[in-house]
Amino acid sequence: MFKVENLKFKYANNNEDVIRGINFEIKEGEIFGFLGPSGAGKSTTQKIIIKILEDYRGNIFYQGKNLKDYTNEFYEDIGVSFEMPIHFSKMTAMENINFFLKLYKNNADVESLMKRVGLWEHKDELVGTYSKGMKIRLNLVRALLNNPKMLFLDEPTNGLDPTNAMILKDMIREFRAAGGTVFITSHIMADIDQLCDRVAFIVNGEIKEIDSPRNLKIRYGKSVVMVEYQENGETVKKEFLKQEIGKNKEFLEILTTKEIETIHSGETTLEDIFIKVTGVKLADEN
Amino acid sequence: MKTNRLTLLIKGELLRLHKYNVVFISIFIALIWGVVLFFVDSVIFNALLPFLILVDATMMSLMYIGSVMFFEKKESTLSSVLVTPVTNQEIILSKILANTIHNLFSTSLIIIVFIFIKDVKINYILMLLAIILVTAVFTGLGLLLSYFQKDFTTMLTNLMLLMFAFLLPSALYGFGVLKADVWEYILLLNPIQAAQEIIMGGFRAVTLDWKYYFSLGYLIVGGILTYKFLIVPKFNAYAVSISGV
Ligand SMILES: Nc1ncnc2c1ncn2[C@@H]1O[C@H](COP(=O)(O)OP(=O)(O)OP(=O)(O)O)[C@@H](O)[C@H]1O
Ligand SMILES: [Mg+2]
Repeated sequence: MFKVENLKFKYANNNEDVIRGINFEIKEGEIFGFLGPSGAGKSTTQKIIIKILEDYRGNIFYQGKNLKDYTNEFYEDIGVSFEMPIHFSKMTAMENINFFLKLYKNNADVESLMKRVGLWEHKDELVGTYSKGMKIRLNLVRALLNNPKMLFLDEPTNGLDPTNAMILKDMIREFRAAGGTVFITSHIMADIDQLCDRVAFIVNGEIKEIDSPRNLKIRYGKSVVMVEYQENGETVKKEFLKQEIGKNKEFLEILTTKEIETIHSGETTLEDIFIKVTGVKLADEN
Repeated sequence: MKTNRLTLLIKGELLRLHKYNVVFISIFIALIWGVVLFFVDSVIFNALLPFLILVDATMMSLMYIGSVMFFEKKESTLSSVLVTPVTNQEIILSKILANTIHNLFSTSLIIIVFIFIKDVKINYILMLLAIILVTAVFTGLGLLLSYFQKDFTTMLTNLMLLMFAFLLPSALYGFGVLKADVWEYILLLNPIQAAQEIIMGGFRAVTLDWKYYFSLGYLIVGGILTYKFLIVPKFNAYAVSISGV
């Protein structure tokens, strides 16, 4: 759907590139996650591929055609949600929606969208009085107004409580199930882990790794079993590889001879892998 | 350019002028002037009314478009419009046209008040033409100016200084303080003076002379050139810079 080749970008007021030659492809029907710490260049990349920042180097193709050859009709195809919720605060949700809706040829069913995000009862309230979670949900509604083929979501779960984050993630999955393609950025791994078909790790304007979360876990992860037991009146903690654990003598001996306090298995998280691959810590959880 | 999309954008702009209380403020200002002018005697009144229309069509146009742009900047709303099929030209034109419509309405209000309470002779067609042209040109200039202002307060201060510098000679000339003939020619290059010439043309008692036609041409050609070579080309960089996302 999207093909990005050797993309480089420099802001006019900086002297160094903030995107340093990245390559990636977004396949039709997938949720593609763009993960990286603050300042890595996630939002910049999104702004480039949605045709807002224009003076980039390298090539970008959308459905086989150079992005530069598209007119503004390109926007009939896509839906965008920015990092900040953006609305006219002195207008109601519905006034906001109606303004944007009519600018498109293709119109979604607003009532069902608004009901889906739980904002239908609040449709006639001023957006300025909305909570942050409501504004972010309204953002998603706006991104879906034109029944887009592709969604671009910049940190969509940032600042959402678990319930709202869940609604949002469910909607993103439904969008994919209906044939849509999604580009999603985040600096919080856990949010995206279960959602994405493939993820790219971006650090300092460079992509360090691209693969499915599953493959990454197979390649970089290790499954372990952790045991805590009593020995000479003290708690001892040991870790064993899960692979062929039934043949591990030490493990079996502990099980049969010691008093076990806790025992559980652990998977490597995407966050662990990120740190392992890039050597950079992702984010202070907020 | 799709006309129905432009119409939608203009409607949106007008609705926002209303929601963000700009319309209320302009009606309020028109009424205040109405009250002030009602009590002055007719000699002053005859000099003041054209001056007021001039201020409304020039300075107030700059102010209104300036405040609109700063509302948009504060809420980053322009970025949402940038990711719709709307073109930059449509955005710019809708802002200029909506603000022209709005200011036409508020200036007309001043005039209408006086048609009822004082004996004002006006050539409606010429006055309408004058107000529309002057307002459109100055709204465009205001849009251009707002590209280069960091915040609303700075813009207001700069606008005041600029307007004062521009209005002063024209006002002095208008009130007869500046009398030398050269001023007649120099001042014509001042867009506000040109605006004043064509607004004066809207008062029936004034006969149209070469200065009128020169000013008319100056504003039309100057306006179109400014639009084509400054307002449109500089818009994209500005829109991206204030999108703030
Ligand atoms: N308008 C701008 N002008 C100059 N530099 C910018 C601008 N916007 C971003 N940058 C710089 O570009 C780099 C990448 O920023 P970007 O916003 O793309 O990061 P990000 O990955 O989205 O980070 P975050 O997780 O904080 O949103 C940063 O170093 C940032 O300071
Ligand atoms: Mg960002």
